[in-house]
Amino acid sequence: MPEAFKILVVDDEPDLEPLVLQRMRRRIRSGQYSFVFAQNGVEALDRLREEENIDMVISDINMPQMDGLTLLEQIPKVDPNVRSIIISAYGDMKNIRTAMNRGAFDFVTKPLDFDDLQITIDRTLAHLVEWREALSSRDRLVSLENELNVASKIQQSILPTQFPYGNDFSVFASMEPAKEVGGDFYDVINLGRGRIGLAIADVSDKGVPAALFMMSSRTLLKGSAIGNYEPGDVLKEVNDLLCEGNDAMMFVTLLYAIYDTNTGTLTYANGGHTAPYVRRADGSVIPLAFTGGVAMGVMEDLEYSQDSFQVAPGDTVFFYSDGVSEAMNENGEEFGVERMAEVLANTPAGSPEEVNNVMFESVRAFAGETPQSDDITCLTLCRS
Amino acid sequence: MNVESHREGTNLVLKAEGRVDGTNATEFQDAMKSEIVDSDRAVILDLENLTYISSAGLRVVLLIAKDLQRQGAKMAACTLSEPVKEVFVISGFDKIIPIHDSQDAAIGSIS
Repeated sequence: MPEAFKILVVDDEPDLEPLVLQRMRRRIRSGQYSFVFAQNGVEALDRLREEENIDMVISDINMPQMDGLTLLEQIPKVDPNVRSIIISAYGDMKNIRTAMNRGAFDFVTKPLDFDDLQITIDRTLAHLVEWREALSSRDRLVSLENELNVASKIQQSILPTQFPYGNDFSVFASMEPAKEVGGDFYDVINLGRGRIGLAIADVSDKGVPAALFMMSSRTLLKGSAIGNYEPGDVLKEVNDLLCEGNDAMMFVTLLYAIYDTNTGTLTYANGGHTAPYVRRADGSVIPLAFTGGVAMGVMEDLEYSQDSFQVAPGDTVFFYSDGVSEAMNENGEEFGVERMAEVLANTPAGSPEEVNNVMFESVRAFAGETPQSDDITCLTLCRS
Repeated sequence: MNVESHREGTNLVLKAEGRVDGTNATEFQDAMKSEIVDSDRAVILDLENLTYISSAGLRVVLLIAKDLQRQGAKMAACTLSEPVKEVFVISGFDKIIPIHDSQDAAIGSIS
C-alpha cells in the first residue's frame, strides 16, 4: 500500500485538531491521510523543515506571529512541491484572491464543512500526484537525452582517426553524426602482409537500439576480418552471428573490402550497402560492380559473392553512406548520386582527406538550413 | 503515409501510400498489422504509391514478413516506384520479399 499523504493543518484555534482527527478518522484509519498540526505560520515552517515528507498544508489566515498569507509566501522556499489550501472567512474575497495569487491551490470557508474539505483535499492530492508524475517524466526525459549523448559519444569514439598510408596509397574516413544518434560506422583494419580491411556500414533506424546494434556489428566485423582473407566469408560469418536472437529485425548494410597494397587489388563483398564509386585518373566516375548481397542480420545462411577491382595509379575509391546521397535541401530535393559523382569528378586525386572535406562541404552547401537527418559517412582510398 | 487493404479471393492486398521513415514507421507497422488476420496465407504489398521508404520502414516490412512466415503465410511486393525499388534491390531485400511488376504476377507467385 502506498504511504499515507501527510497533511499539515495550521490554525491557532486548539479545537480544530481533535475535530479534524475525529472527522477524518476513516481516512486516517485506512492509511490514506496522516496529519500534523501547527498553531501559526512560524511553527508551520518549523514542521515543514522537520518533517521531510509533508504533501500539503491547510492553513487559516488570521493567526498570531505569522499569518496564513505570509506563510503561503514562505512555503515554496522550504519545499516548492507542497500544495496549500487556505481557510478563509465566508465571502472574504479579498484575502482569498491574495491567497490564490500567492500560490494557494484552493480554499475552503468557515464554518468548515468537512465533506467539502475532504473533496478539496482529495482534489489537491490528485493534482499533486499528477504533478509528481510529470516531474519524474521530465527527469526521465533528461536522463534519456543524456543516455543518447553518451551513445553518440561512444559511437564517435570507436571510429578510428589514424589511417594507414604507404608510398603509393592513403586512406581517410570521417563521419558527421546526425543530431539523433544513428548507426553509421566505418573501420580501417590492418590485416598484415600489406592488406588493409576497409568497411563502411549503416544500421537501420536510429536511437540507442541502433547504436547498440552498430557496436556489435563493428566488433563482430573486426573479429571476423582478422581471421578471414575473403570479404565474402567475412560477411557470411558476421551475418550469421547478427541473425542470432535478432527478433527486432534490426539490420546493417555493410560493405567490406580488402585492399592489397602490394598489387593494388581491391576485393569486396556487399551486404546491402550502396556500391562505392571510383574516380579514374582521367576524371571519369563509375560505380563498382554490384555484387547483390542482402543487408545483414535478417536471414541466416546467406552467401555473399565478391568481386574485385584493380585500383590504378591516380584512382580514387569513394565509399559512402546514404546520408550523402539522401541529404535534403530546403525544397525537399536529394543531393543524389549524380551530384556526388560530379563532385568526385571535379576533385583531383591525391589526398583522401581533401576528397572527404570537399564532399562534406558540398553536401552542407546543398542542404543549406535543412537539418541533417542521417549520419553522413565517407571513406576514401587514393592510389598515386 | 496511409495503408488501405482489400481482399482478392483468399489474398490480402495491402496498398501503402506516401512516405515511411523513422517518424511514422511504428504507425506504418500498426496499420499493416491491423489488417492481417491469422488465417491469411498470402499477403501482397502494393507499393505503387509509396514514394519513399527509409531503413526504419524496411525493418517494419521485414518484421511483418517474419510474423507472416510464423503463421505459414507468404508475402510478395508489387509495382514499386523507382526509388523504393532501388532501396529493395540495393539492400537485397528483394531476395527475401520477391518483387513483381504487377499485382497479378505477385498474387500468382504466392497464392
